[in-house]
Amino acid sequence: RAARVRVGKGDKPVTYEKAHPPHYIAHRKGWLSLHTGNLDGELGAAERTVEDVFLRKFFHGTFPGCLADEVVLKRRANALVGCLLLLPHLAPAKLCFLVGYAETLLSHLYKCPVRLEVQTVPAKVVYKWL
Amino acid sequence: QDPTAAHYMFQDDPYLMPRNSANARLLSLSKESGRNAAKYIIKQFPQYFDKILAEPNVPCLMPVTLTPQLEGVNEEALRERINLRMVKASVDLFDQLLQAGTPVSLETTNSLLDLLCFYGDGESVQEEQREEKEDLEESGVNASEQKTPKRPLQRGPRSSGSRWRENNDAERIFKIMPERNAHSYCTMIRGMAKHGASAKAYDMYTELLNERHKVDVHTFNALIAAVPFLKDKSPERWELVKVFLNHMVQQEVPPNLLTFNAVLKTLRRCGGIGRSMAISVLKEMEALKIEPSLATYEHLLFIFYRAVDLGPSSIISEVLEDVEKRSFTAQDPDDANFFATAMQVCCDLKDIKLAYRLNKAMEKGDNWKFLDMSQLNSYWSKFFSLLCMMEQIDVVLKWYREMPPSLFYPSPKNIVDLLQALDAANHLEAIPSVWEDMKLLGFNRRQDLLEEILSLMSRDTHPEETQLAFAKCAEDIKNVHEQSWREQAPLAWTGSALGHVAVLFSRVGRTQDAWYVIERFQQANRIPTDRVMDEFLNCAKQTNSPDEAIKLVKLAVSLGLSSAHRLKSRAEKEFELSESQR
Repeated sequence: RAARVRVGKGDKPVTYEKAHPPHYIAHRKGWLSLHTGNLDGELGAAERTVEDVFLRKFFHGTFPGCLADEVVLKRRANALVGCLLLLPHLAPAKLCFLVGYAETLLSHLYKCPVRLEVQTVPAKVVYKWL
Repeated sequence: QDPTAAHYMFQDDPYLMPRNSANARLLSLSKESGRNAAKYIIKQFPQYFDKILAEPNVPCLMPVTLTPQLEGVNEEALRERINLRMVKASVDLFDQLLQAGTPVSLETTNSLLDLLCFYGDGESVQEEQREEKEDLEESGVNASEQKTPKRPLQRGPRSSGSRWRENNDAERIFKIMPERNAHSYCTMIRGMAKHGASAKAYDMYTELLNERHKVDVHTFNALIAAVPFLKDKSPERWELVKVFLNHMVQQEVPPNLLTFNAVLKTLRRCGGIGRSMAISVLKEMEALKIEPSLATYEHLLFIFYRAVDLGPSSIISEVLEDVEKRSFTAQDPDDANFFATAMQVCCDLKDIKLAYRLNKAMEKGDNWKFLDMSQLNSYWSKFFSLLCMMEQIDVVLKWYREMPPSLFYPSPKNIVDLLQALDAANHLEAIPSVWEDMKLLGFNRRQDLLEEILSLMSRDTHPEETQLAFAKCAEDIKNVHEQSWREQAPLAWTGSALGHVAVLFSRVGRTQDAWYVIERFQQANRIPTDRVMDEFLNCAKQTNSPDEAIKLVKLAVSLGLSSAHRLKSRAEKEFELSESQR
């Protein structure tokens, strides 16, 4: 089936996000990308999805090895808020540099204000070992 | 306003929050450089960023067309390049036009001269708005910075500021102009004065007078501001300023705010004459109904307080009264220095009430915009030093709880002032919390601060819990000295620091630690003081360990201390020693 982590020997760390299969969305999980495109009578759902894919790849590349979990993208009235969970692998100055760079570049690319809210976690938060 | 949060430009996260002022500056600069990197990429590859699908339209994110549309060697193309601030391209096009024989009109040549003088022949200077014939906005400056990066590199090393090169393009174009009007002369004078060629500016001014052209007020401003570079002695400078002012009167050019500010700026460097003349300048301004700006007040404060051999003056209270009433707008580039200078003056005068009034004035209306990030820190730092000197300890502590880290980060001098204030108020139990703050700020390796804190802790005896807390601090400090942390070499012990730590340990009864520290004395080639020895003996007596006492006496003898004899006799008296130990 889809998006399930297979049970292994017990040495594989799994985050909360990955541990729950998709039928738990809206019960135990939230959404990773929030926009109004999928509501009744709203347009633009496909464009939002394409943007999401690009943004996830962009963040995966800009913060090399620092993402602790998937990026949560929220769209609020023309503004794009990206919530990142980062590991402290880089110095704070470098992380600030990357945050400023990503914000400006994405704003100019998508012509809408982009804000990044960053939180650092000491290590990947493990929910279960499978 | 949340007093425990850092400035809103930083991410609200414990790893990414700045700890002290240097860190704050580093993080804000790195964020800014990230933005610049993104802008550079956007400029380099505009083809990836031109999909305009935003609704509503956000004008600042739209791609900016900076390449000139018109090709061909004609005057409209030249004018367009001038509008886009492309200095080099417009000069080349102008030369091409002249070679082709097409006459270029006077207005276009004048606007070309304006462009060249503003940028000083390829130097792009960031300046605030000046009222010229066409409004040269700051957004254009960034564009030209990237277009003419090669030119300044050809010149080689120079002193600070931009220089007016001999026979540069502006002069060349000026010379080959068939007809020149007043505007051309004025622009040349302003450009020369701005970029440091003051003598040439003065020559050009005499030329202008010979040709009997009309001079405008901005040229006069530039000339007056350039006076300190023309003459060296104060009376001559003032005479020259008066000459210019008389010319202004003759030509019936009305002075504006910038004229008076330029006069005051020159008076700053005129020494004693400045003080007497400054008041008359102010009266003139009032007579002409020109509202003084913050720069005026800043120059006044400087003239009256910062110059050497000053006498007391009460002008600052009058200045503050004026400042408190109004909310200012930015009118002069020097406005930004007002609050910093004013706070410095308050500190020199040691007047806390003035400082409070200044703070209130700053919070009123738009006045807070005049302090940028780097000045903010020094402003509040000086305010805090003043507080520590003049106010009661609870007021100081209240401000200390509230101000960092949202308003400023304490500098080492601030911490020393705080410790001294605590000392003056007999409040030494707060020292361990100050030590915690020092560790947070990253000051725990500074020798002077460590000395200060250790000497304060070990000077008198204190009740029991305080002693325990002090001993914990001492242990932290000892660890700082001992452990080497990745690249940092361990801090070298000084004699007094060792002594204080030993004393603090002995008072609490931690004999092992105290002995460990005393051994360090020999390693670090330092001599312990008598007080240290006595304290250690007391401690040994408390814990009933005669061995330790013996060891101490042996150490004293080996070090050849004069008090060894006294220590020996004391040890014999106070301890019951077995025969072998004797």
